[in-house]
Amino acid sequence: MEKNDPRTYGKHIVQYPMDYSLCAGCTTCEIVCTLTHDGLVSPSYNRIFVDRGTRSMVHHILSCQHCSDHPCYNACPKKDKAMCIDENNIVYVNEDECVGCGLCQKACVFEPSRINMVKSADKKQRKAKKCDMCRTRPEGPACVQWCPVRCIGLSTDPLPWEVESK
Amino acid sequence: MSEMRYGYVGKIARINLTTSTVEMISTFDYVPEYIGGRLVCNKIFWDNVKPGTGALDPENMLIYMTGATTATGIPTGGRSVFTGISPNSFPEQYVWSGMGGWLGAELKFAGFDGFIIEGKAEKHTYIYIEDGKVELLPADDLWGLMVHPTQKKLEEKHGKDVKSMVIGPAGENLMRNATVTTSNDSVAAKGGFGAVFGSKNLKAITVRGHGVVRPYDIDKLFELRMKMANPTMRPCPVVREATHGMDGNMIPVEGGWLRGQVACSHGCNQHCNRLMMDMKSAFSDERINQVEKCVGIFAYGYQEDCSWSPIQNFETERNHFLPCKMLSMENPPPDFEDPYAPELFKQVRGDIVNFWKPDFDKGSVMMDMCNQYGIDKWDVIVWFMTWLSMCKQEGLLEDMDFGMEVDVENEEFVKYFLDMITYRKGKYGPIFAEGMARAIRTLGKEKFGDSIYHGRYSQMINKPLDLPVSLETAWGHSFHWQGRGFEGSIYKAGWVAHSLELMTSTRDIMTIAHFHDDYENFLKYRDDPYHSRELVDAVIFNENKAELKDSVTTCEWQSPDIYWPDMEAQMYEAATGIPTTQEDLDFASERSRLIFRAILIRNFGRTREMEVNAVFPALTIPDTFGEVATWEEWNDLVDLYYEVKDWDKETGWPTREVYEKYGLKYIADELEALGKLPQ
Ligand code: SF4
Repeated sequence: MEKNDPRTYGKHIVQYPMDYSLCAGCTTCEIVCTLTHDGLVSPSYNRIFVDRGTRSMVHHILSCQHCSDHPCYNACPKKDKAMCIDENNIVYVNEDECVGCGLCQKACVFEPSRINMVKSADKKQRKAKKCDMCRTRPEGPACVQWCPVRCIGLSTDPLPWEVESK
Repeated sequence: MSEMRYGYVGKIARINLTTSTVEMISTFDYVPEYIGGRLVCNKIFWDNVKPGTGALDPENMLIYMTGATTATGIPTGGRSVFTGISPNSFPEQYVWSGMGGWLGAELKFAGFDGFIIEGKAEKHTYIYIEDGKVELLPADDLWGLMVHPTQKKLEEKHGKDVKSMVIGPAGENLMRNATVTTSNDSVAAKGGFGAVFGSKNLKAITVRGHGVVRPYDIDKLFELRMKMANPTMRPCPVVREATHGMDGNMIPVEGGWLRGQVACSHGCNQHCNRLMMDMKSAFSDERINQVEKCVGIFAYGYQEDCSWSPIQNFETERNHFLPCKMLSMENPPPDFEDPYAPELFKQVRGDIVNFWKPDFDKGSVMMDMCNQYGIDKWDVIVWFMTWLSMCKQEGLLEDMDFGMEVDVENEEFVKYFLDMITYRKGKYGPIFAEGMARAIRTLGKEKFGDSIYHGRYSQMINKPLDLPVSLETAWGHSFHWQGRGFEGSIYKAGWVAHSLELMTSTRDIMTIAHFHDDYENFLKYRDDPYHSRELVDAVIFNENKAELKDSVTTCEWQSPDIYWPDMEAQMYEAATGIPTTQEDLDFASERSRLIFRAILIRNFGRTREMEVNAVFPALTIPDTFGEVATWEEWNDLVDLYYEVKDWDKETGWPTREVYEKYGLKYIADELEALGKLPQ
């Protein structure tokens, strides 16, 4: 990508406007993300984030935008083994190979980074967690399937409040 | 039992604020025998808090517990519970208080199933918990702040992703109905535990966790997500409503108002909290969002009491829906093929009471003040404000100088009054900060509690009815679906059942024990609920379910589903992997209620005489149909209830055999030594 070219994005999770459906703040999306990927629930594992409006009760969904130029993939010291790109151009993490260095997390252009890291005293447990669009799941992304108010879906447009910070 | 790795995370932190020490207790000292949540709290309280301890004494323990379902993604598992001695209960007694939000889940991610707070910090303090570590930190820069600024400051200090529970000025100033507030306007309110925080110099508890919670059966979990309360799984937009309120309190709102629906707690599959957006604030020109639940609607206008239909308590298999559907307005359409449908949906209109005319902005300001000062909205809306209105109309306040003319329809007066009581200002601030039950007795109960208000009119029998100026029921709480007072329009069988549940309790039970029964059962006791074994059995069923809601955990608005009686057992088993039947949970809740009863007997002198005298007077006020309970009827029902429970009819105390049947010999022994077992 040239320096001044606008970044383009692949298909990713978007939150719809509230006059279509208001996020209930139930965190189901975070929960089903880790249940389907990891068989557990943990804020260190989810690949979609509810930016909680503790007092406003208006919540924003943050997730990987699947940047076409994939800076996270570019930063991975074990690219094509740990950080990989599949036939549909989805960038995903092969956790068996991930060494937990955190370079992909740092390379993410969004703030906060859309790549989560498992925090563990045991270095071997540290793994990057990145949205892979549930690429092997026939029903598609679990968060979209299970959101009780259908306020998230798929698009290639960026979310209005997503600001690239880096 | 540390090999058990599903549902629970394994530790309870016992935090002593006097000695600044933290002891780690294994959750598995208590579970699975005591399930979790309130059942564990009851056991801890029995073991640790001596008779004679007062609510605001350092020795009072606040016990906070999550359940095995919390943070698993099983719907409603995000609910959690506090217990301790309540300053708001009259007299002070052991109570529970539920709470939603995200903090319970976060605590589990931080490695704790719960915590116990005891002692008193020397200085203003807050507790910071992160990933297995508990720190006591100075709260000088937080003390004095209202609820939302406190939450905000804690996020500034520790990061936006922390979850906090905090008190506002009401708790700091030991107002007896002060709340502990977490996110989403979720509060532990009715216990007045905000004042217990204040008495311990504790401003807040802030939590961050990065750990893991493992549910046992993920397929089952997903099945429960689709089945529990039948989620609509469809978009739920923000809509502009043209009017606000219900029944006789409905008013047009100029320009309309924005309504959304949000969930109260982590992982729920419903969105029953009504979000009111862009509302008037009491404190600034900035517009605010706030949540309205059942009582909040009356802050805006209270000329007429709430209407009721039998379906809210008495259901059929073809027509039943859970309360979570009501505020989100997602009730399924009635099935009129059901022969009982016309009866089930017949509306009983609320009494005309004329407490205050609808005023949208004033209602919003009242709500905001309760949220920010950290005061229980129930006490403010249902009791303080109605009392002021009725006393004013009856000319009882003429000799009292509040420093401003009493006028509950004047926004400035509402602000003035709530400020006065929160900060204990002037002559009357300290009196009302003690809560209405105590304030009325200080002022003189005969005049300020029992005087009759003449503005009540029944729309069901078309005639005026008496109502005392104080809407007090029992245990320092106000009426709630009890046939008179707030949410009073309900058939006799409903208010008799609710009053029986209230009698053996220590606070308003309706946040966790709305009575539900099958309509055909109801037909058996509709005319004479006082001599009905069916009614007593249904009361016990609802009492046990209430215990489970705070323990498994689940929620008053999704449980019980009387046509799916083992729902809670399925939830518990999916979370923990422990094979569980409804009978197992019934046994556990009966045992928990026995421990609760034993606490009341040992620590607070509970007897039959005490509880009958606490509840009965309110039942002599006519209900919407002009009916009252007689002393004989009520005592016949109490006899029958005690008989079924195998409690002594004279004292109301359970027998040794009952305690032993539930594995509580140690409690029977202790009570016997104190002379508190029936002869
Ligand atoms: S599941 Fe849907 S409603 Fe719930 S937090 Fe996620 S996006 Fe919001």
